[in-house]
Amino acid sequence: MKILEFLAKLCAIAAGVLLTGITLMTCVSVIGRNTIGRTIVGDFELTGAAAGAAIALFLPWCQMRRGNIIVDFFTAKASERTNAWLDRFGALLFALALALMSWRTMIGGLNAWKSQSGTMMIGFPEWIIYTAMVPPLVLCVAIGLAQALRGFSRQVHE
Amino acid sequence: MSGPLALTVGIFAVMLILMAIRTPIAVAMFVAGTAGYIVQAGWLPLANFLNAQAFARFASYDLSVIPLFILMGNFATQGGISRSLFEFASAVMSRFRGGLAMGAVLACAAFGAICGSSVATAATITQVALPEMRRHGYSGRLATGTLAAGGTLGILIPPSVPLVIYAILAEQNIAKLFAAAMVPGIIAMLGYMIAIAIYVRLVPGHAPDHDDAPKVTLKLLSGIGPIAIIFTLVFGGIYGGYFTPTEGAAVGAASTFIAALLKREINWKKFKHCFYATAESSAMIFLIFLGADLMNAALALTQVPAQLAGTVAGWGLSPVMVVAAILLFYVVLGAVMDELSMILLTIPIFFPMVIGLDFGMPKESVAIWFGIMVLMTVGFGLLAPPVGLNVYIVNGMARDVPIAESYRGVMPFLISDTIRTIVLLLFPPISLWLVQFLK
Repeated sequence: MKILEFLAKLCAIAAGVLLTGITLMTCVSVIGRNTIGRTIVGDFELTGAAAGAAIALFLPWCQMRRGNIIVDFFTAKASERTNAWLDRFGALLFALALALMSWRTMIGGLNAWKSQSGTMMIGFPEWIIYTAMVPPLVLCVAIGLAQALRGFSRQVHE
Repeated sequence: MSGPLALTVGIFAVMLILMAIRTPIAVAMFVAGTAGYIVQAGWLPLANFLNAQAFARFASYDLSVIPLFILMGNFATQGGISRSLFEFASAVMSRFRGGLAMGAVLACAAFGAICGSSVATAATITQVALPEMRRHGYSGRLATGTLAAGGTLGILIPPSVPLVIYAILAEQNIAKLFAAAMVPGIIAMLGYMIAIAIYVRLVPGHAPDHDDAPKVTLKLLSGIGPIAIIFTLVFGGIYGGYFTPTEGAAVGAASTFIAALLKREINWKKFKHCFYATAESSAMIFLIFLGADLMNAALALTQVPAQLAGTVAGWGLSPVMVVAAILLFYVVLGAVMDELSMILLTIPIFFPMVIGLDFGMPKESVAIWFGIMVLMTVGFGLLAPPVGLNVYIVNGMARDVPIAESYRGVMPFLISDTIRTIVLLLFPPISLWLVQFLK
């Protein structure tokens, strides 16, 4: 579990840095466009691509922290034991859903590789974005499975 | 019941049962949607649909505005601008009875102008305002109620993450929706202040007769400097045509970060905290997006949503009544469900229905006005019992106040919310007034 936590943190930080990188690039592009009339070519596409990787990289930490929102209204009166079991079941379903997504995204990435599809303006290869997305998705599966097997007794801190 | 209708009910039943037993909302939608899709179209079309779905949802320029606004809000939260902001706001309002509470509302509104999340706004302003209010003799009930309500100004005043999500789902212009939200947002702020003024007079013992807050000085005025500059930069840039809303969010995040650096408030630890907090909020939203995509794809296959729009239009009800019914449905559903999930799940169904009705206005105006109405119910849901997220957040920071007291505290604000929502429902021009000045 400790290694999963470490990896989830690493992903979140990497994504944060990526996102901060986008903001800086956008600033340069905006200033360039409104002053000297020159802009970074394909900045929109790079923003979309980087955001795609960042969002996927954010997912493991969110699940680690149990940040995926649940409805606890109907189980408020149930025993802690029951709720703990339900939460583990929820983690299992999360793992299964993310396993399906990891698998299909991997196939999607292979398709993008075969067709060599790229973005419209600068032809940034889409398979790179897919490749960045698959490992964090797989990490989500591992985290979900670990939570389903071991429960949530371990506290996760920043 | 005919086949498609029974299937629709079945899909919803699976989703609701999973939700009721604590499955993450996004996963409940995902599982129900996947099952519904396979039953109707089989595995292969689903597999093909899923191949590019995560890519299409996550790597989208339009959607990247969401994590950027969240990052901006987190930089603002960690940047130490809230304390001087609250000092200024409470000095401005100090002449009124309950002035410190009104100051907290004003500070929330100002913070909301650079933060698109209600939870972040509530938490940030509570940190600085709650100890001050308690020290001056405000009751736990009024203090926590005020801050929970004030927090909703984080989304009612642009930028606003729920409004961005609505704009994307309804394929509307984000800049126009932000402009539309401005006047209702200010009305919300004034409504909350009036609620405080009435409450402290009707129910004595919750606020001191006089606050010994400082006078407004030039030094205090400088407290709002960073926020004023960032707000002007972001919205001036968007409405001046210098950049897109996504670029505005990026410029906003960068300038908020710089403001925090200049205040010497940010270090590597806080910086990391910004990333973690952004990760949690963004990932939660995008996973719900993914789940809602599956749900909506499965529902679209049944063709029930499309027929529903036609059926409702055929009933010949008054259009305003239909919208009122939808809003009422949101209030009821929002009592137990997270508001963002609710929007993501229902807008694809309700939006075509509303757009199909004749309000005597252009379609775009209807879309914008309906977005503002939906936003109002989201704000309401964040306060209303039994599950008001903002009330939880603020109450969690006030250890000595029972949650029941906090829920009593938000009552005057819920009344204010209700009145405002009805007024905005009956008078769409209030929401559309600012939009007309945009090209």
